[in-house]
Amino acid sequence: MKQIALIVILAAMAAVVPLFMGENPYFTGILISVLMMAALSSAWNLLGGYAGQYSFGHAAYFGAGAYTTMILITLYNLNPLLCMAAGMVVASIIALITGSIVFRLRGHYFALASIAVAEIVRLSVLNFEFTGGAQGILLSDLSLWGLDLNSKNPFYYGMLLVLVVSLGITAYLRKSKTGFYLQAIREDQDAAASLGINLSFYKNKALLISAALTSVLGSLYGLYIRFIDTSAVLDLRLSIEIILTAIIGGVGTLWGPVIGAVLLVPLAEMLRSNFIGDALVKAGLVSETSGMGLFLKENLAHAHVLVYGIITVLCILYLPKGILGLFRRVK
Amino acid sequence: MLFFQSLLSGILTGGVYALAGIGMSLVFGVMNISNFAHGDLMMLGMYLAYFAFTLLHIDPYLSLVLIMPVAFLFGFMLEKLFINRVIHHPHQNQILLTVGLGLIMSNTALLAFTSDPKILTTSYSSSAYNLPGGIFLSVPLVISFLITCGITALLSLFLLKTSTGMALRATSQNREAAQLMGINVAKMSAIAFGIGTALAATAGALIAPTYYIHPLAGHSFLLKAFTICVLGGLGSVIGAGVGGLIIGVVEAMSSTYISTDWKDVVVFVLFLAVLLLRPQGLFGKKGEQ
Repeated sequence: MKQIALIVILAAMAAVVPLFMGENPYFTGILISVLMMAALSSAWNLLGGYAGQYSFGHAAYFGAGAYTTMILITLYNLNPLLCMAAGMVVASIIALITGSIVFRLRGHYFALASIAVAEIVRLSVLNFEFTGGAQGILLSDLSLWGLDLNSKNPFYYGMLLVLVVSLGITAYLRKSKTGFYLQAIREDQDAAASLGINLSFYKNKALLISAALTSVLGSLYGLYIRFIDTSAVLDLRLSIEIILTAIIGGVGTLWGPVIGAVLLVPLAEMLRSNFIGDALVKAGLVSETSGMGLFLKENLAHAHVLVYGIITVLCILYLPKGILGLFRRVK
Repeated sequence: MLFFQSLLSGILTGGVYALAGIGMSLVFGVMNISNFAHGDLMMLGMYLAYFAFTLLHIDPYLSLVLIMPVAFLFGFMLEKLFINRVIHHPHQNQILLTVGLGLIMSNTALLAFTSDPKILTTSYSSSAYNLPGGIFLSVPLVISFLITCGITALLSLFLLKTSTGMALRATSQNREAAQLMGINVAKMSAIAFGIGTALAATAGALIAPTYYIHPLAGHSFLLKAFTICVLGGLGSVIGAGVGGLIIGVVEAMSSTYISTDWKDVVVFVLFLAVLLLRPQGLFGKKGEQ
C-alpha cells in the first residue's frame, strides 16, 4: 500500500512537470527518454529481477511494438491505440514461442535463446520488403487522429502512464501469490518445483506481461520519433541498455529501474551531445584545435557504449545489488 | 556440383568456426561460464592479424605464432583480474560481466580503429585450387582449415596426455572433486580462459583474410559460437568441433539454396530447434539442462 501511494504521489508530481517547463523541446525530450528507459527496465525487471530469467532480447518486443504500429499506420492508417494492441499481440506471440522453447531448460539457456530470437526478428525485419528493410519506416503524415504529434507532451504522458502501470503491476505482484512463486523460482528452481509450482507457467506469465509492456513502449517510441529502423529499435545494444539500467539501480527492486534510468539516460545524453568534450574545451583544459580536442570532438559522442561497458563491469564487481542494494546493506 | 561446392566450402569455413566453438566450450566446461566476450576476442584476433600484416609485413598465417601467446596471456590476465571474482556469483552476473568486457573491447576498437571496415588482402587471397568437376577451393580457406586441424590435434594431445590437460578435464568433470584431489582449480580456470581466448583470437586471425574486419564483427561470431556449443553439447570439446563443421555446412547450404541474407537466420532457427528437440546437444550428457 505504502509503495502504491508513493507511485501515485511521484506520478502526480511528474505529471505537472510539463506545465512548468513551457516549450523546451530538448529538455522534454530527455525526460521522455528517462521515462521510457525507466519503464522498459521496470518491465524487464518483472521477468529478470523477480523471476530471475535474464532476457537479453527485450529489443525484440520493443521492435515488435514499434514495427507493428508503424506498418499498420502507414498502410491502413489505423487508430494508434488499435495499432498498439496489435503490437502487443505480436510481441506476446514472440514471447510465447520463446518461452515454450526455453523455459523447460535452466541456467544459461534462456539468456542465449532470448538473443537468438531477437536476432531472428532483427534479421527478418532487415530482409523483408514490407518492413522497409534497411531503410526503416518513416511516418510523414503528422495529423493522425486529431493528435498533435508535433507536441512532445502526449508522449511524455504516454511514457509516464506505462511506467506507472509497470510499477503498479510490480508493486502488486510482489505481494501476490504469483510474485512469491516467481521469487521462489528465482531463488531455487528445484525447491520451487518440488513445492508444486508450475515453473514454465509462471515464467511464461512474467514474460508475457513484460513483453506486452515493452511492446507498448515500442509503439509509443515509433510514433514519437516517427522513424524507426532495425538499429534503433531491434539492436542487441538496446537489450543490454535495458538490463544495465536495472542492474545499476538494483535488480529485483521496485524503484531500482527508475533510479538506474535517472542516472544513466542523462549521462548517455551528455556523452552523445558531447557535453563533456565541450566542457573540457571551455574549461581551457583541452584546446579545441589540438589533436586531443579534435579527437574528443569526433569520438566522444560515440563513446557512450564504452562508458556503459565500464559501468557494467564496475557494477558487477563492486555493486552487484545496484545502488538500492547499497542502501539496504547500510541499513 | 553446386552441392559439393557448397559442402566443401562449408566444411572449410566450419573448421574455423569449430575452433572458436572449442574455445568457448572449454571455458564453459572448466569454469561453467558463458563467455559473452568470445566474439569480441575473435575480433581482436582479426585486428592483430591485420596489423601484423600491414605494419610488420608478417603473413596472417605466420602471425599466429605471435598472436596465440599474446592472446593466451591476455585471456589469462582477464580471468585473474575480472572473471575469477564472479566465479561463485549467479550466472546472470557472470554473463553481464563478460558482456561488459565485450562492450569495452568492441567500443575501444571502434574508437581506436574507427568504424571503417578493413580488408586484409594477401597475394593469394583470391586464388583457388581447381578440383576435377569444376569445384573451386579458396586457398586461404584451405590453409585455415589445415591450420585448424593441426591446432585441434595439438589441443587434443595436450588435454589427453599432459598432466595440466588431465587436470583441466578433471576440473571440467567435477570442480569440487578436482580441488579435493589437490588440483589448483583457480589456476586451471585461468589456463582454460587463456586457451579459450587464444583459440578465439586464432579463429579471428584465420578468418581475417576472407572477411571484413570491423570492430563490431564479434557480435555475429558470438552467436555462432554459442550455437556451435549448444549443438555439440555445452562443455563438450569434441561436440564443439563437430558442431562447428555442421554450422559451416548449414550456412554454406543456406547461402546457396536460400539466400545469403537469410543464412544467419537459418543458423539461429537451428539453434532454437536444438534447444527444443535435443537440449543436451549431440555429445552432451542428459539431465544437466
